[in-house]
Amino acid sequence: MKKFLLSSYPDGLSRRWAGSIYEAIQELGTWAWRVGSCLGLLGISVEAATIEGRVSLPKVRVAPVINQRYEIIATGGVLGTNPPLAVVYLEGKFAGAATPAVVQMIQREMAFVPALLPVRIGTKVEFPNLDPGFHNIFSFSLAKRFDLGRYRSDEKPVPSQVFDALGLVTLRCDIHEHMRALVLVLDTPYFTITDEEGSFRLIDLPAGAFTLKVWLDSKTIRERPVVLVRDTARRMDFP
Amino acid sequence: MSWIRFILVFLGGWPLAFGSDEFSDRLEQLLTVSTRDGRLRGRMSGTLEIESYAMQLPAPGLLYSESAFLTAPRWNVFLDVQMGAEFYFFAQVRADRGFDPGAAGAQVRLDEYALRFTPWRDSRLNVQVGRFATAVGNWGARHGAWSNPFITAPLPYENLTGMWDTEAVPLSRVLLLWSHVYPGSQGKETLAEKFQRVPIIWGPSYTTGILVAGELGRWRYAGELKLGSLASRPDAWMHGLEEWTHPTVSGRLGYRPNQMWNLGVSASAGPYLRDFATVNFKTGVGRGDFEQRVVAADVTFGWHQWQMWSEVFASRFCIPKIGDVDTVSYYSEVKYKLTPQWFLAGRWNQQLFSTILDRGVATKWGADVWRIDFSPGYRFSAYTQLKFQYSLQHGDSACRDFTRTLAAQLTLRF
Ligand SMILES: [Cu+2]
Repeated sequence: MKKFLLSSYPDGLSRRWAGSIYEAIQELGTWAWRVGSCLGLLGISVEAATIEGRVSLPKVRVAPVINQRYEIIATGGVLGTNPPLAVVYLEGKFAGAATPAVVQMIQREMAFVPALLPVRIGTKVEFPNLDPGFHNIFSFSLAKRFDLGRYRSDEKPVPSQVFDALGLVTLRCDIHEHMRALVLVLDTPYFTITDEEGSFRLIDLPAGAFTLKVWLDSKTIRERPVVLVRDTARRMDFP
Repeated sequence: MSWIRFILVFLGGWPLAFGSDEFSDRLEQLLTVSTRDGRLRGRMSGTLEIESYAMQLPAPGLLYSESAFLTAPRWNVFLDVQMGAEFYFFAQVRADRGFDPGAAGAQVRLDEYALRFTPWRDSRLNVQVGRFATAVGNWGARHGAWSNPFITAPLPYENLTGMWDTEAVPLSRVLLLWSHVYPGSQGKETLAEKFQRVPIIWGPSYTTGILVAGELGRWRYAGELKLGSLASRPDAWMHGLEEWTHPTVSGRLGYRPNQMWNLGVSASAGPYLRDFATVNFKTGVGRGDFEQRVVAADVTFGWHQWQMWSEVFASRFCIPKIGDVDTVSYYSEVKYKLTPQWFLAGRWNQQLFSTILDRGVATKWGADVWRIDFSPGYRFSAYTQLKFQYSLQHGDSACRDFTRTLAAQLTLRF
């Protein structure tokens, strides 16, 4: 049986002490990874690491109110609520993706689905419109500034953007002021989104020393260092 | 004026001070409230607008100024309330210096309020009561400072004709004097006259009434019974209830062949004279005989960074015992987004007048007008926008052939 190693900053320690301990654990983690690799070479079954946990999420957000003063909206102004979710990701040094990923964010019933989308840097996001009317997606965020204009649902190729700079991108619609979505551009292939209870599970993680980060909103990112050894599962909660 | 400077610094500093739209996004969340189950939700939003005009006198269109420079700040507050899927309420309160830009004292008005009932989950039927923009045409739905690429309204919505709503035309010659067709007889336009003359349709025409509207597949319909004709002025909208004996009936039928196109035809009929103008009427002539009848067609097109709007209005003003007079006005407007932040817009407007018999001679009852508007705009953020407009107008001024107007408008949304 192989063991996992996990660490976090002990409370009350000065940043300097915490730094040294962190470095020591990182060193230990690298050794553990080397041991794991050797076991792998020897033909002993090796699996990737897993982190499970739970993040305490902020209070439920109020659903937006659609401005329909001069337009009759087919959905009767009723929107699904987007509960607050968190993005959990592993930060470290990883090899670049061989082929950039392509994911979709759709526009359906006057809303972006999903409303929060974490992607790895270089990912192409397509924006299919499934509504009978136009939308006009744009972003003024520094990490990605664009305006897709108005395009028909049947237009090919589906309008898309490559998110090539790290950071948070707020998507809006020039026609429907209530529409809002976030794209979080990350420098890691290892990320997931929590469920509405805040539970998450990151699988197929490599061994090594990393930082586990939890993105809650543009102002709140929580983090803990973590050293992963192959074929291990670990629980990490962010209460 | 120090307070103007203060407002400019405040508005201009907004995007710089807060760096991003995050502050405004948070404010938006703060101004949205909801019951626990989400069935009753309300949101307050609005715009702060500051407009400045440099014009040649007499002031064109619906600008009320005796000076060549005019600055008009405005604060708009909107309230949107969703009550389940069935009921929707909205209101618009404005604090400014008059409904149309002018030098009047500060005032606060409840310009719009309406309750909409939607019995079915699809939008086949909606019933709305209150005071709200007309369903005629396509400009009413986009007259807000944020979404409109121009600062002034298109010609049919703001070019004052020679027709008055305060007095019935007693003789053809009088109408020709009111409309300055006889040069020198009336001298130049005066500001006082502006409180008498009416356009084909006065801006968004926030009149009181009831609207039945809906969507059936690709078709849209709207029919409204309002207290005040399309030509009626904001002052008359406030006293709408006295109009109940002579309501205005209007409607629009729209068709959307696909996402890019939106076509519509509209019609309207209602008395254009104010009720106090009927005091001296001889027997046999009623207020209802002084009817404004309008037929209109509109088209909207959008594709990629292009948007286009066009409308044509034909209006008849019935004048008992003298004859009917007609006017036709149309415009075509194009907007192109150069970048996510810059846009350019251009608009061609024209208005033509029919003839009236004056001592046996057929004479046009108004001066034909054309106007070109050009507008560049820039969005600093998703909440702050600056627009400029240059307009060149030919006709309708006793002083000169060409009239030029420059305008700037800063809009801050919240
Ligand atoms: Cu939209």
